[in-house]
Amino acid sequence: MKHLTEEEMIEHYYSEDLYKADAEIHLQACRQCSQSYEELGKLLGSVRGPEPLPRSSDYGAQVWQSIQGALQPYQAKQKRSFFQWPQLAYAAACLLFLAGAFLAGRMWEHAHTKPLLATSTPQQTKERVVLFVLDNHLDRSERLLVQLNHAGAEGEQVDLPLRGEAQQLLTDNRLYRQSVAQSNDPLLTAALDHLERVLLEVANSPDELSAADIARIEQEMNTQGLLFQIRVLRTKVSEQKLNAQAIGKGATL
Amino acid sequence: MGNDDYALIRSILAGDKDAYGPLVERHSQSVFRVAFRITEDEADADEVVQETFLRGYRSLENFDARSNFRTWIYRIAMNCALDVLNKRKNQTAVPIAEEYDEGQAAVQLADRAAGPDRLLLSQEIQARRHAAMGKLTPTERIAFVLRHMEDRSTEEIATALGIAPNSAKQAVFRAVQKLRQSLAPLWVKS
Repeated sequence: MKHLTEEEMIEHYYSEDLYKADAEIHLQACRQCSQSYEELGKLLGSVRGPEPLPRSSDYGAQVWQSIQGALQPYQAKQKRSFFQWPQLAYAAACLLFLAGAFLAGRMWEHAHTKPLLATSTPQQTKERVVLFVLDNHLDRSERLLVQLNHAGAEGEQVDLPLRGEAQQLLTDNRLYRQSVAQSNDPLLTAALDHLERVLLEVANSPDELSAADIARIEQEMNTQGLLFQIRVLRTKVSEQKLNAQAIGKGATL
Repeated sequence: MGNDDYALIRSILAGDKDAYGPLVERHSQSVFRVAFRITEDEADADEVVQETFLRGYRSLENFDARSNFRTWIYRIAMNCALDVLNKRKNQTAVPIAEEYDEGQAAVQLADRAAGPDRLLLSQEIQARRHAAMGKLTPTERIAFVLRHMEDRSTEEIATALGIAPNSAKQAVFRAVQKLRQSLAPLWVKS
């Protein structure tokens, strides 16, 4: 037979045991547990705290009076709306600041770019455009001459679109040569004149150039020398173009 | 009652401070009763009641609408009572006259047959009960008072003390064991 523990007896005393009926049966059957439980009951039964002194019926009102002054009323929670004036004012201030910054930037830009733009004449602008397209033209021409020289070195039948490319470059070259002829640049004028003759020769050559044809052109036209001239000119034109671009950027700042 | 309490709480939170008055008046007596049983001192119990309702008002925003205000304010009252007991424990020592001495007990309670002796025994029991209660920890004391004198269930004790139900049950067990150890010699002699 398993005796009741002290905890089980205390639980039983306060009617909190899960198996109340089992405990009752055991206490009736077991003299030892019954005696212990009786002692526990006597002990706990003797423990009585002092009875609270009766408070008057208005005790609650007295308590309320004593604490009332120390209490601060709660602030009623207001429904939050985005369109309350502090938020609106903040948003308006942000917008004003952004608009002001934008306008100030515009004014500063105008104030600093007008004098520079005034120094950039239409003639200089035209020169920059000419330099840009001329650089491109010289680049294409250089590539054509390189292809031509390499084809001649390989000594085989050449099946490259040199003729079509030469015809396109020939048209452009005439225009550039005429434009440059008006300026005082004899080196560039001479080089474009030389290039035009080479392009004319290639453009009017048969569809398939033989190695002999190329060798003849190279020799008669001195394409190696022209290539060197073109490279020198390209370097010069590139520098002029960069200078012109730098001036152009400075003018727009 | 519960819904009425909650309606008052909503009014308070909406800015009507005076709505707290009816809540205080409704629950003051019961809070005082339990505070007195725990502290066994009228002034301390009054202090606990006032502090409880002050703290309750300031914490009202945290009140869960699903809770019972009475249970909630009881929990605050238990915390206030704990504070009072802890303060008392730090400030004063247990009076020498109330300390239990088993050797003396046998002498004092050797003869208790006559009527006056019965009265003396009763007074002695109460004095030793008071001393034994003083030896309990604040948690054990509150758990025992709520269980034994206020007839609260373990769950209610656990809620009031903010502890797990098993811890509340153990606190009651420990309190009973300590009381038994302190008071058993009186019963043996009687």
